[in-house]
Amino acid sequence: MADEQLTTIEPMSLADIAQEQSDKSFTNREAVFEVKDLAVDYSGAIAIREVSLDVYKNSVTAFIGPSGCGKSTFIRCFNRMNDLVPGAHIHGDVLYHGKDLYAADVDPVEVRRRIGMVFQKPNPFPKSIYDNVAFGPRVLRLRGSLDERVEKGLRQAALWDEVKNRLKESALGLSGGQQQRLCIARCLAVEPDVILMDEPASALDPISTTRIEDLMHDLKREYTIVIVTHNMQQAARVADMTAFFSVDVAPDGNKRTGILVEYDRTSKIFTTPADKRTEDYVTGRFG
Amino acid sequence: MARISFQEELDELELELRTEGELVLRSLRGAVEAVCSQDLELADEVIAFDDDVDAQYFEVEQGVELLLARQTPVASDLRLVLALLKDNLHLERMGDLCVTIAKLTKLTKGLPPDEVLLEGFKEMGERAEQMIRVALRSLQERDRVAAESLLELDELIDRANRRVVNRLLEIGHDLERREWGLRMILVSRCLERIGDHAVDVGEQTAYLVTGEFREFTDASR
Repeated sequence: MADEQLTTIEPMSLADIAQEQSDKSFTNREAVFEVKDLAVDYSGAIAIREVSLDVYKNSVTAFIGPSGCGKSTFIRCFNRMNDLVPGAHIHGDVLYHGKDLYAADVDPVEVRRRIGMVFQKPNPFPKSIYDNVAFGPRVLRLRGSLDERVEKGLRQAALWDEVKNRLKESALGLSGGQQQRLCIARCLAVEPDVILMDEPASALDPISTTRIEDLMHDLKREYTIVIVTHNMQQAARVADMTAFFSVDVAPDGNKRTGILVEYDRTSKIFTTPADKRTEDYVTGRFG
Repeated sequence: MARISFQEELDELELELRTEGELVLRSLRGAVEAVCSQDLELADEVIAFDDDVDAQYFEVEQGVELLLARQTPVASDLRLVLALLKDNLHLERMGDLCVTIAKLTKLTKGLPPDEVLLEGFKEMGERAEQMIRVALRSLQERDRVAAESLLELDELIDRANRRVVNRLLEIGHDLERREWGLRMILVSRCLERIGDHAVDVGEQTAYLVTGEFREFTDASR
């Protein structure tokens, strides 16, 4: 799709060529995930189909689109969360560092350690702040000092200063924004490679949202982040790459399937999207 | 969630810019008429009328500021708002150039004019007017081809400007007409600059339509 667009553009200026090269250097980054012709169905009902894209290392990749476009279904393919859904079937390939994520010899538990997930609603365990962060390392019997792991996780999640004097208190006493950062700390404590975030800030107030967004910006230096968001401005603010998904309605009006419409640099998606459907969505004329 | 009010605000803003364009056209016609007929009263009117142009300029400027703050436009909406912001400035500059022409007219009070040069200004004024119209219409109709045609129109006004300079050299031996002519060379320059601003408006239209900004001509060549 992008290639077709390029051929219609007239000779490029030097500035364009420089820009093009810097773009290439971005997509020349190592791909953490390579998705090829992916489809997901729930007991035969196709939720999303024909999705191919790469997710790049040390970047934030955002999935945007209207309700029912399959973006949440799609993000769950990256850590095999759909395995837990009865009747869910995955077709096509999801390669993680070049290896088939769905190969028979891959342990889903190990997958979810390396590819952590943060959900829309903060979901701390009804335990102390400390025990929440220590939970993963304990279960996985990770070596090293537990205290150090907990502190590191909380520091990385920008929560340490707020909770260091009350680590033994219940996590449920924290504010919503703090709980969400605690969930991020819990995710970080098992030393993941990728963090998936499904609407991580949609239940939070604007200040907490800003903190989560700042956090994403800091964390991408060490981790690869994939985020689903309903908030387009959030995608515009935090993401390096943005994928726009839409709903394809069959002629009979019954079957509704999620499809990937356009995937490009965020700057491109929000200034000069190649596809009319993307334009209509980001400008608020559809969806 | 079709953003109806947002679209209305965008349309409104574009309309405000067109209104400003109409004001500039009036100012231009007045300025050229004043200089060609040595009408000092009209020159004063043109100078005073610039307040109207400025008021309209502020109207558009504030509209752009509000839209950016409240609606966070993206993609083609963002390009339109940015184009309006820049076109607004170009139109305001055209208005200022008309004022300069009017002031030069007053400065040459009592000096004998040269009919050939006055004919030249009339021609340049008409060309500048046509260029403003083409620039405004190309924006309104999102017509990139029309916008690019401004480059050819600009060449014509540039040539007229050169003819004015040549004529001035011819009449330079006449002391009285020389003083008048030296001031009038600035009038010619103002009209030529108005044409340049019209080309700039055209460039914004092309940017709006294609999503890529490029100058129609490279000034360094």
